[in-house]
Amino acid sequence: MAVPISQMWTVASYVLKKRFSGQKRYPLVLMLEPLFRCNLACAGCGKVQYPPHVLKRMLSPEECFAAVEEAGAPMVSIPGGEPLLHPQIVEIVNGLIARKKYIYLCTNALELKRRIHEFTPSKYLTFSVHLDGQRDHHDFSVCREGGWDLAVDGIKEAVKRGFRVTTNATFFDGTDPNSVRAFFDEVMDMGVEGVVLSPGYSYEKAPDQKHFMGRARVRRLFRAILSNRKPNWKFNMSPLFLEFLMGDRKYECTPWGSPAYNIFGWQRPCYLLQDGYADSFKELMETTKWEEYGVASGNPKCANCMVSCGYEPTAVIEGFGSLKGFWGMVRGTFSKYKDPHAQKLLAEWKTEPHAPLVQIETTNRSLEETNA
Amino acid sequence: MTAEVQKYTLEQIEALEVAPGFEHEKLEGWVPSLASDEEVRDALEKAFDYRGDVTITTKSGDKIEAYVFNRQTGATLQDSFITYFAPNVNGKLKMSYAEIARLEFSGKDRAAGKHWEDWVKAYNERKAAGEKDIALHPDKLE
Ligand code: SF4
Repeated sequence: MAVPISQMWTVASYVLKKRFSGQKRYPLVLMLEPLFRCNLACAGCGKVQYPPHVLKRMLSPEECFAAVEEAGAPMVSIPGGEPLLHPQIVEIVNGLIARKKYIYLCTNALELKRRIHEFTPSKYLTFSVHLDGQRDHHDFSVCREGGWDLAVDGIKEAVKRGFRVTTNATFFDGTDPNSVRAFFDEVMDMGVEGVVLSPGYSYEKAPDQKHFMGRARVRRLFRAILSNRKPNWKFNMSPLFLEFLMGDRKYECTPWGSPAYNIFGWQRPCYLLQDGYADSFKELMETTKWEEYGVASGNPKCANCMVSCGYEPTAVIEGFGSLKGFWGMVRGTFSKYKDPHAQKLLAEWKTEPHAPLVQIETTNRSLEETNA
Repeated sequence: MTAEVQKYTLEQIEALEVAPGFEHEKLEGWVPSLASDEEVRDALEKAFDYRGDVTITTKSGDKIEAYVFNRQTGATLQDSFITYFAPNVNGKLKMSYAEIARLEFSGKDRAAGKHWEDWVKAYNERKAAGEKDIALHPDKLE
């Protein structure tokens, strides 16, 4: 695992403290969205589809700090929109570092090289750069040719200046696992601390996307990608979550593990699903009908979701909250996941023509619905 | 979530090869009939999902442009509320369902026409025409 010991220790002691105090629900990562405006216009991104007067709104640094203190999570992820477009982002980041929060600043990195001198390297700050695969795949995915080159320039500059940098990818149906593995080689060569990855999800606000990768297909894809790992690959994620993606573990969602706060308030129930907002973190925790979300609920909106914001907290809590989980994590950190079947799967994978990240599938394979 | 929308068993979910997406309703320009409490509730639920502004005419005759981002439904229309942002007003605003006389989905639907299929098609056409540096750009904010 690529995460530094100090961060692991902070998270582990936080989980144990919560566990011993008998607290049932607690957050691990606050998803802090200070604005929705972006300098990309990725097709299908529901995060940026708002009228201009909404896109112009931003959280002030004080609002960000209040949310962070209210939630109390040891880690803060700052997605958006594009956080580097926030005029006070440096102040927000510095304020969170002063509060000793481990920050993941999620950026498409178009502006990173130009802005990097404004930030100071710290063990608390990681630039989590959105890179959805190799050059062509990424450019196609973010709907901008040349996007990869700008992002990679930003990564290299940040690494050179001593910042912690990870890459962050979402993979949809049609992804070629061989290309993803080549992508891992490329980004590890850039000197990043580790790779973060997640399967796509049938995001309800995404416009007119007809079909999405279901769970069986997610597991097949990630088994092909993540088995038979190369020794230099590092992942900035819980090994147990990666095993969940590969189909070796069955987890239920922990939506309160990554609560989301933005200009509208505290989002119910999670970063992905928008089922309304609460005015305070306490109200979010106490009045959200949590039993209506996650796979076991049968809620069709959660049906194919295996994303990190819902399931990685489950893995982290298991990993730091029980001896068995901890042992699984240690084993997973050093395992290469040798698997001849996965090797065969990889060798026989049918690559698709261009538009490799298209989320749309042929209709005749859609799931039969019961009691609908 | 109510019982009628519960569609999947755990076994089905685990075996899911392809998950169906969501139908995007064409609501731009729609003026719902608000003849019954049920219609009011239904229309405001749609306004909450809508990615554009709506124009609300209140029972006292005011016209308000609003981006509805939350709703809280109670037992009656009096104790059901929307929360919204209005252009040129800083904070969050709140209004009871009971105050609303007319609703129009007047603003541009910001989710419409941004289909992945459209991007694939446009990309292939522009590429075939020899265009370089093909990209989609964010809408202007002014
Ligand atoms: S399964 Fe969990 S993370 Fe996924 S959409 Fe449902 S509540 Fe959100």
